[in-house]
Amino acid sequence: MNTIFRRLLMVEWSGLLAAIILGAAVLAWLSPAFLTEFNIYVMLRSFCVALLVGFAQMVTLAVGQLNISVGALGGLVAVLAGGMMEKLGFPVAVAVPLAIGIGGLAGLLNGVLTVRTGINGFIITLATASAFTGINLGITESIPFYDMPPSLVAFGSNRFFGFPYLLIAPIVVAALLGLFLARTVPGRHLLAVGGNPQAAELSGISRDGITMLAHALSGALAGAAAVLAVAQLGSAQPTIGADWLLLSFAAPIIGGAALTGGHVSVLGTTLAVVLIALIENGMVLAKVDPYWVQFVLGALILAAVWLNRWRAVRTGMG
Amino acid sequence: MRLFCDSGRGLAASMIAAGLAMSLGGSAYASDNKIALIPGGPHPYFKPWEQAAADAQKDFGIAAVDFKVPTEWKLSLQTELVESLAAQGYTAFGIFPGDAVGINSTVEELKASSIPSAALAGCAQDPTGVAFCLGTDVYNSAYLGTKELIKAMGGKGAIVHLAGLLVDPNTTLRVKAVETAVAETNGAVTLLQTVADTDAQEAADQKINALLAAQKDDIGGMIATGYIPSVVASKSLRSLGDKRIKFVGIDDDQIVLDAIKDGFVSGTMAQNPYGQGYVGAFALDLLAGGGCTMKDDAPWIETPQTKRFIDSGTMVINADNLESYRDDLKKITTSIQASFKDKYMNCP
Repeated sequence: MNTIFRRLLMVEWSGLLAAIILGAAVLAWLSPAFLTEFNIYVMLRSFCVALLVGFAQMVTLAVGQLNISVGALGGLVAVLAGGMMEKLGFPVAVAVPLAIGIGGLAGLLNGVLTVRTGINGFIITLATASAFTGINLGITESIPFYDMPPSLVAFGSNRFFGFPYLLIAPIVVAALLGLFLARTVPGRHLLAVGGNPQAAELSGISRDGITMLAHALSGALAGAAAVLAVAQLGSAQPTIGADWLLLSFAAPIIGGAALTGGHVSVLGTTLAVVLIALIENGMVLAKVDPYWVQFVLGALILAAVWLNRWRAVRTGMG
Repeated sequence: MRLFCDSGRGLAASMIAAGLAMSLGGSAYASDNKIALIPGGPHPYFKPWEQAAADAQKDFGIAAVDFKVPTEWKLSLQTELVESLAAQGYTAFGIFPGDAVGINSTVEELKASSIPSAALAGCAQDPTGVAFCLGTDVYNSAYLGTKELIKAMGGKGAIVHLAGLLVDPNTTLRVKAVETAVAETNGAVTLLQTVADTDAQEAADQKINALLAAQKDDIGGMIATGYIPSVVASKSLRSLGDKRIKFVGIDDDQIVLDAIKDGFVSGTMAQNPYGQGYVGAFALDLLAGGGCTMKDDAPWIETPQTKRFIDSGTMVINADNLESYRDDLKKITTSIQASFKDKYMNCP
């Protein structure tokens, strides 16, 4: 028994898993509504966009870069997708891949500017974030696109018991991303460049190329998150992405990503997003005083990080 | 560098003077004033100001009435825009304060340069240099909305209040208004929960759906006092297919109006953004001309923020007046505008 516990402790994300199980047990005890089918659907649905946002930042963290424009890029893709479907009459099957492609291109632009100018990605993406938001507002004048195709809206709101159809997308993306990082050459190069750029370069890996790839991937993931947000909200709101930035860093970092690059965890990020969704859901269920919600949210996230840190120290991995 | 402060003041004054001279140099308009209507940032609520500006310019023969939007919801961006426009020769400003207190230093700088300003849609905190505040009486709107909700619920049950930004002082007023209306039922209606900070679309979606998941069966009615939660709650009730929970929102977003039409929403509290822009421009034109001043003994409404408040009108939109409410709001606007000069101003 003790050995099993120690083995479990060795697993990087076990602290997060423990926090999730503990949190879910407390919430189930506090509120009978927690385990209802509809609440599970609501939680899983809120998890979908957040996970892709976490992944969008995670891939840039993998190469030791930051993408401050995650939310702005998402907002731009959302309104472009909305505009294509409402104003230009593009079918969903055309507009969605096109929108994700535009996200990828915008990300690539971040990467090219970072590599070619030699300016830190933080500064570049800070500037492009403002530019992306500007284009978004220029296009929409802050008025959303409302007439989304019924098939997209149905995909965003329909469910099979507690399972939202929307969840299919992040599950597929998580599996592909996990495979990409663990099993493909560009994926391994991504982590190699993040872990030790000089060594990676001496091994013949194109550092610039990999940095651009990471940014392009980040843009495409933010674009995918934006399309899911449009499906979920049923309209292309210019404010989509406005509050993604904090979450985009919180999820991968709580999930064990190194800020210096070279180490990320798809499963860890996923569990971190589950934990954040659980805490946010619990705030409403437990009827926390609205003036104290932010404090409780921050304190609980800190507690989860501490639990994971305690595990790392105990197992000698910290 | 802020244009109006310290060493920049002289430069700013001369730039303003140059702008004024340019605008005064012979024109075919009844009024040579250039008026800017400036919201706090991009938001669909202010879209009618654009039309109001165009109509006021035409109807009152003003040289220019322009709708200028700061790029983000930041006070600093708003004040920079105001100062830059003043330097370009704008002679009056209708402003939705990005911050009720923070806007006052800019307003005082304008006043020192004889440029009048008015707070539109939201007020500046007294003591302030704005000539008046024309907006929705948020307390009254939330109170009337809750009364409407209680009526729709048959006078009994539990309600939830979906409130906006907690840092907005108006949210506190709305919370009090809802509590007062509930207290007046002597226990027949109870306030189950207040869910706040629902002003971002995605946060609202998560919070409101979690609320419905947890307490759908206990909730008899919901009142939203912010634009975004109104839209999100209307959509959530539609996707749940729930017509048992009564809901009263605020503002007339198309999603809310469609939900009223289809019976998922009982009503929504209309504000009058068009009227705020239209009447605001009219009054500012009279003030900027130099002839008129505001009366001290006008029938001002006193609010916790200001002693010079004018209600721009509020009304309930429900299934009965869904088609006609825009005309009703226009009538309110016309009525406020027609009596504004006599009621609130001293003019030669």
